[in-house]
Amino acid sequence: MDVALSRNGRRIMRVFFGIVLVFLYAPIAILLVFSFNNADIPAFPLSGFTLRWYHAFLHNGDLQAALETSAIVATITSIIAVALGILASIGISRSRFRGRGAATTLLLVPLVIPLVVLGLSLFLLFHVLGVQLSILTIAVGHVVIVIPYTILVLLPRLEQIDRALGEAAYDLGAGPLTTFRRVTLPLILPAVVSALLIAFTTSFDEYAVASFLAGTRQTFPIYLYSALRFPTQLPQVIAVAVVVLCASLVVIVAAELWRRRAEARLEAPA
Amino acid sequence: MAAPVPRRRRRPRLATPALLGLPLGWLVVFLLVPVAIVALYSVDVLSLFPGPHSFALGGWYRLFHQGYMSLFWKSAKMSLIVSALVVATAYPLAYFLALSGTRRKYVLLLLLIAPFLTSYLLRVLAWKVILGDQGVINSFLSSVGLHPLSFLLYSRFAVMIVLGYVWLPFVALPIFVTLDTLDRRLLEAASDLYASRLQAFVRVTLPLSMPGVVAAFLFVFIPTVGEFVTPSLVGGTSGYMYGNQIVDLFQQGFPDWETGATLALFLIAVISVLTFVFVRFLRLGEARVA
Repeated sequence: MDVALSRNGRRIMRVFFGIVLVFLYAPIAILLVFSFNNADIPAFPLSGFTLRWYHAFLHNGDLQAALETSAIVATITSIIAVALGILASIGISRSRFRGRGAATTLLLVPLVIPLVVLGLSLFLLFHVLGVQLSILTIAVGHVVIVIPYTILVLLPRLEQIDRALGEAAYDLGAGPLTTFRRVTLPLILPAVVSALLIAFTTSFDEYAVASFLAGTRQTFPIYLYSALRFPTQLPQVIAVAVVVLCASLVVIVAAELWRRRAEARLEAPA
Repeated sequence: MAAPVPRRRRRPRLATPALLGLPLGWLVVFLLVPVAIVALYSVDVLSLFPGPHSFALGGWYRLFHQGYMSLFWKSAKMSLIVSALVVATAYPLAYFLALSGTRRKYVLLLLLIAPFLTSYLLRVLAWKVILGDQGVINSFLSSVGLHPLSFLLYSRFAVMIVLGYVWLPFVALPIFVTLDTLDRRLLEAASDLYASRLQAFVRVTLPLSMPGVVAAFLFVFIPTVGEFVTPSLVGGTSGYMYGNQIVDLFQQGFPDWETGATLALFLIAVISVLTFVFVRFLRLGEARVA
């Protein structure tokens, strides 16, 4: 006898799972349908197939500038956050000292800070210091949000690695930096790539904090937010939405599959 | 004096606490200091307006006497309902994936979580298209000759359904993790002792998975109670939440940073208490199991 589910229970669960998946993916599918719909307002009945919304998006300079700004912010964010995340994870996993618990807690605190609060407190900080808001101020806020994610990805991987490998490198005369570059980094590389991707996509998509910290240049979410208030642009925005959604889904699933394989290969005896 | 120990090569110190300096420094400068500045604004020591300022509790007085608290309760109630519904939906899904021995459980899990990894605003946009006056549901209703429903968009209902939609995939994860690591032999033991499936669930599985359930609940409650993006896009006036109030106090025509800072600080306080209680609860649970 199966102790968790009866045969009927299993059948019901399978149906329920299917219903939830429909609920989760139907809105995305509807966006996809309306991005090809030949009407200014997304409403039924459908009125024919068109590619003009995709065409319009290719010629929309503001939109492309916003995408570019977001890409820059996300690149800066992911590089800084992952660098800090590597330092923090090695510090936590490889050393024992008093206050380690408190340090770990502080590193994870951004997980529970509401984004409105983070955004406005950084806004006040920059206001008090007289710092001009720009791409960099957005990146500063995004790094704060993303640091815990990078640690949560990197730390388990570091704990898995045999510590003796680092010590062996040291015995063979490698300094700490060489040991990191030649031993540790290659072993945690899959996790580093995951962390970079998570940081990049989170930053690319972040609106709440960016809305407080943006200067004159709009990021993509800020552009999207204002476009959502003007219905005339809706179909075009939907077309971009579809492109971005599909791209991020593909990247995320591919990266996850790649990471599994890469880690499996590193585990396998050479 | 102790006998001299033969000098050994120093133990390799490949890492020092100093490595933590940069990341911790970043969070001190860009998280702790800013929150302290918010606190200074909330008691009027720092102010938007020039001139001398001294300690004053006007912001805190207004928090408790100008309807901000009832707005907070309204938001808290909305997020409580959303969190409870979402956890109740995600639990059976996670249970099914973790315990029914389905092959491909990780593929199914990824399928469940994938929408969470896509753009937040775009998922909200999808619901705007579905719920709008000329949206999918209403245009369908009128095309078959029924009355369109006006309460769909710009309402509390809209905010709650969108928040639930947005957070559902994420919530399945912590519950799945606790159920997946659960020792199945405990269930077999329960069944050997003539427990029915229901009894085994109520007396064994559910209590052991509580940490995951509570974590999942907080993971939804914390971000949604301070939410302002979804309510400002699909909430209208009746879906207006505490987070919107904070934003408006900073960005509207008549800014009141003192009150806004107070509201923000109050939110942090509530969330800190909740998180603290949760961590204590986890420790207690671990102690009991060990």
